Amino acid sequence: MSTSEETALVRVENVSKYFDSLKALDNVSINVHNQERMVVLGPSGSGKSTLLRSINQLETIDGGRIIVDGIDITDHRTDINKVREEIGMVFQSFNVFPHRTVLDNINLAQTVVRKRSKKESTEISRELLDKVGILDKENVYPTKLSGGQQQRVAIARALAMKPKLMLFDEPTSALDPEMIGEVLDVMKNLALDGMTMIVVTHEMGFAREVADRVVFMDYGAIIEEGTPEHFFHNPTMERTKIFLNQIL
Amino acid sequence: MKSEQKRLIEVTDGVAIPSRKDVGLFTAWRVSFIGAITIIAALIVLKPDPYWRIFTFLPDGVFITFQVTVEAILLALVIGLFTGLGRISKNPIINGIASVYVEVIRGIPLLVQLFYIYFALGRLVNVPAMASAVIAMAVCYGAYMGEIFRAGIESIPDGQMEAARSLGMTHAQAMRHVILPQAFKTILPPIGNEFVALLKDSSLVSILAVSDLLRRGREFASESFTYFETYTMVALVYLVITLFLSKLISIMEERLGVNQ
Repeated sequence: MSTSEETALVRVENVSKYFDSLKALDNVSINVHNQERMVVLGPSGSGKSTLLRSINQLETIDGGRIIVDGIDITDHRTDINKVREEIGMVFQSFNVFPHRTVLDNINLAQTVVRKRSKKESTEISRELLDKVGILDKENVYPTKLSGGQQQRVAIARALAMKPKLMLFDEPTSALDPEMIGEVLDVMKNLALDGMTMIVVTHEMGFAREVADRVVFMDYGAIIEEGTPEHFFHNPTMERTKIFLNQIL
Repeated sequence: MKSEQKRLIEVTDGVAIPSRKDVGLFTAWRVSFIGAITIIAALIVLKPDPYWRIFTFLPDGVFITFQVTVEAILLALVIGLFTGLGRISKNPIINGIASVYVEVIRGIPLLVQLFYIYFALGRLVNVPAMASAVIAMAVCYGAYMGEIFRAGIESIPDGQMEAARSLGMTHAQAMRHVILPQAFKTILPPIGNEFVALLKDSSLVSILAVSDLLRRGREFASESFTYFETYTMVALVYLVITLFLSKLISIMEERLGVNQ
């Protein structure tokens, strides 16, 4: 094993996952390093979301190992809640808490999980709301916000935990086209700050501009991976070429 | 996202809760409520003996009826919450216990349960009639309440639990801070409904030597031999109470924005 594998923040080793008889992940192995921005592409049903959700164990896997920050999360003795504190996740459907104001959405896990004081939490929340550009909405309920604004609340909520890694599961797929840009801008700034990110998306422009590495998945397996340069201009696998022809 | 708020739980029992569409002077609720009060007043004025005597004899029973209802509903809410959580639990033992409880209780008439708990408890410990009545009502209604809680919790989209868990919350923390506060809005109408239904069913405790509204009526009737007059008054008083409560509940729901 090379040293780069040992120091990887996320190590996915020979992971398999079944939904009944359907093979969602087929012996997938991949490493993600500190401060790396990895974009996962692939047709729907290719297993890319399942892979992402396995990394914070929203999906349990049927074979292999996943090690995050040196902790084997597939070991049943691991306290998964502790690991999840370090992994932020952003969902396609936002999943903001509708019964809490924007500020309380971001404060909740800070006070309940991180045991920060209300005052400290609020300071951190305000700072993040400012960063994602919706500080003026702090006392509003999320249902009064646009989809793009809700997704930015969700990003701020995840960042408030000060995670070491951020997972994005098609964060712009449920948005109206005019709101996609505002969410991608927040994500680009996050990348500039050096956040380690794994992003499942259909936004090719984002992949080209932000990714250090692009991974292409199909039928539950990694078909091809490489730099955006390599991936978009000189793909080697036939499946990748077909996919790129369909979407570009 | 906004249209997700829907009434998942159908109203199946109790006095019909007035809907907001029910406007105009002659709603069924108004006709019944004002009608009942007018008849009570007319009976008392036109025929004070026995109606005024009956009317002044009943309040102690009304108080007991309320006491049984409120105590039983509070206990039933606690039982219902744990039953509901048990019914959605992935732990097969907890789930099994909760499911069997619901099935068994729903399959036995309330009157039989009342007798059973009264005499079964009586064999083990000396429990006052009032307490065993409250326990029996709560055990029965807890099962129905459990189904209401289960449906309410299941009505919250899965993404809410996932988001809470992804932030590092335990299952219990996510339930307490994220799922239950949202489920509360959905389950409030059926719980209000159960309250009214329980108040009516509480008349069954009169057979356990608890002096509720119905039993007070029976005591009066058997002494004065005014059965028809007494039960007329008892029925009217129940009607006024349940109509009043259902209206109160629907106003409360609107205030809390349940139907929005």
